[in-house]
Amino acid sequence: MALLKAPENTPVWVEESNCKACDLCVAYCPAGVLAMVPEPKTILGAMVKVVYPEACIGCNDCELECPDFAIMVADRKEYKFAKLTQEAKERAEAIKKNHYMAREEDIKALCA
Amino acid sequence: MAFNYNEYLRTDKMPTLWCWGCGDGIILKAVIRAIDKLGWNMDDVCVVSGIGCSGRFSSYLNCNTVHTTHGRTVAYATGIKLANPDKHVIVVAGDGDGLAIGGNHTIHGCRRNIDINFILINNFIYGLTNSQVSPTTPKGMWAVTTQYGNIDPTFDACELAKGAGATFIARESVTDPKKLEKMFIKGFEHRGFSFFDVFSNCHVNLGRKNKMGEAIENQEWIDSITLPKAKYDKLPEEEKINYFPTGILHHVEDQMEYCDAYDLVIEAAQNKKKVDVPIQVKPF
Amino acid sequence: MAREVISSGNELAALAAIDAGCRFFGGYPITPSSEVAHEMSVLLPRVGGKFIQMEDEIGGIAVALGASMSGVKSMTNTSGPGMSLKAEQIGLGFMTETPLVITNVMRGGPSTGLPTRVQQGDINQAKSPTHGDYKSITFCPGSLEECYTEVVRAFNVAEELMTIVIVLLDETLGHMHGKAVLPDLEEVQASIVDRAKPDPSIPKEEFKPFDVPDDKPAVIPPMFQGYRFHLTGLHHGPTGFPTEDAEICQRLIERLHRKIDVRRKDLLDSYEEYMLDDAEWLIIAYGSVSRSAREAINRLREQGVKIGMFRPITLWPSPEEKIKEIGERFPAEKILMPELNMGQYIDEVERIMKKRPVALNKANGRPISPTEILDKLKEMGI
Repeated sequence: MALLKAPENTPVWVEESNCKACDLCVAYCPAGVLAMVPEPKTILGAMVKVVYPEACIGCNDCELECPDFAIMVADRKEYKFAKLTQEAKERAEAIKKNHYMAREEDIKALCA
Repeated sequence: MAFNYNEYLRTDKMPTLWCWGCGDGIILKAVIRAIDKLGWNMDDVCVVSGIGCSGRFSSYLNCNTVHTTHGRTVAYATGIKLANPDKHVIVVAGDGDGLAIGGNHTIHGCRRNIDINFILINNFIYGLTNSQVSPTTPKGMWAVTTQYGNIDPTFDACELAKGAGATFIARESVTDPKKLEKMFIKGFEHRGFSFFDVFSNCHVNLGRKNKMGEAIENQEWIDSITLPKAKYDKLPEEEKINYFPTGILHHVEDQMEYCDAYDLVIEAAQNKKKVDVPIQVKPF
Repeated sequence: MAREVISSGNELAALAAIDAGCRFFGGYPITPSSEVAHEMSVLLPRVGGKFIQMEDEIGGIAVALGASMSGVKSMTNTSGPGMSLKAEQIGLGFMTETPLVITNVMRGGPSTGLPTRVQQGDINQAKSPTHGDYKSITFCPGSLEECYTEVVRAFNVAEELMTIVIVLLDETLGHMHGKAVLPDLEEVQASIVDRAKPDPSIPKEEFKPFDVPDDKPAVIPPMFQGYRFHLTGLHHGPTGFPTEDAEICQRLIERLHRKIDVRRKDLLDSYEEYMLDDAEWLIIAYGSVSRSAREAINRLREQGVKIGMFRPITLWPSPEEKIKEIGERFPAEKILMPELNMGQYIDEVERIMKKRPVALNKANGRPISPTEILDKLKEMGI
């Protein structure tokens, strides 16, 4: 397998220059790890952010669904992913209902 | 460590020119992952594309790539494969490229059972040229040339491939990239014509005027019209018209591959005899 | 040692392809060219080559272009209706600079026309076989030997200039059966030209096939050797990838013309001057019509009439300087151009000579006989 050196201790990371803000990764994430935030400098005015990396279960859906090679997930052998919790599931639903955009509490968590 | 897509991509061409959320990118990724799992050397791979958004597929892969005319991908690929039988040839065609103008070549590629991997990127519309109806646009939908609603019947591409004699026929969609990748791996390994009907989302063209203008909405619609084959087979007959079965729908290994068969011709010609092929009137 | 064979024009074209190194043929049956395909289907596998009869004319040229793109010398055959169908793919061949030889055995046209009868109606089409701007190369054999030598030359020119070469036979030449004295096989093989190879000092991942001087063809290596290049019908620059840049696009089109223009005189111009030294009357003829013209000239010469023939062999691009020079030696009313069409090459001759020869036109599928040429000349006052 062609391998890429991953950033240390990171379950999932974004190549922002490739992201077209299509919302697919946020839509497919079962654990509410990701959310879109406004980003005036991009064409669609938004950018995906990894808001809750600690909740990432390593399912790889975001990486596989991303049409633009903009989001990558670490190898299971090198990172200990979390288990899927009810809280994570509910958060994922809430973000989806919010048009995939980060809610106020997500933005606070991101800036913390 | 993570998967290094850059080894397979022409990185100076990124990001792709496809719309945000376009299924083409998901298919590109699945093809790369399949090639990687199979251990193919990119020097031995040739990707042939036609005209349409799918036409740009070839320019992103770091291997031998050819961007041909509308509908003729299978014909060009046949020439490349027949002249280089031990190399890997992947054809990418849209629903217009593969089933409308290219229908004839697709049918005969299936018939010959030449070892080509034919990926039909089926997004139910002509995307690049702005929303004209395609042979797979559902009846009743809006397209820019069916603005009163589409009355054209459609193709079931896999049934077409079956009738034409393809020996590996499978259907998946971009909503399940893991299954997509597995399907590509099995089909790429198969020595014969592998026909992949890949449902993809064109939310910008098909979706926007048909109430699914977001990538995820278009993908949800695709999920709503597909069922794994086992579930599909259990449906009552009158409901089957609303769904397409997914999975590997047909896979036989008992037909000779075309390049292998032509090697028999070469052997016969060089030994001044006829090929040892019994007369067979029906294809299968 | 020269080879004496008894064969037909179509069969000799196929033999020439094999001798010139062609190892792939794709085509579709069409009268009166099918025998080229029949021969290739027998000869190619004997030398380990590949033959495929495709599902239609377009598939026929596409498969041949595909094989050539991958690095194998290829050929396709057709007649009028097939040439019309192949138009778009011919354009892709020009744009991707893919060598290919197309033998068009002309028949009565337009449309279905007269499938089994002779005509020379595809001359203008051979100059403009597709849409857009490009330079087309067309050879027109006038004998059985030339059905062989012109096809060998076509392969060599196609490889050297990285383009499509059209060889126009006609039904008479294609089906004509007789003795031909062919050049020695060693001589043919020694003359074979292969497409240029990349400079080995350039690392493969840095090599750009279309990064060539403004008067040279692209240098395209075979596929599957690590060069991983991209071929496209879209306008492209030195990298080979699509572009819309105004300057790059203009340069590309100009290079596609110039690569052929700069070699016209030394590589492409080809014609025959028959008994022209002291001639006072001139016949300009090509293809099978030139055979009747030659016979008419021979008969007139026996009667002491000073007449000769100019026979262009490379029709496109036309041998301008020679035609102009010839035109200066004869008044228009003493130049006869018999053509098996309603006057196609005569327009080119008129453009160059700035005067119009007398035309003898026939487009009903019947050959022009020496007697018809003699009668016309008598009418002209010979």
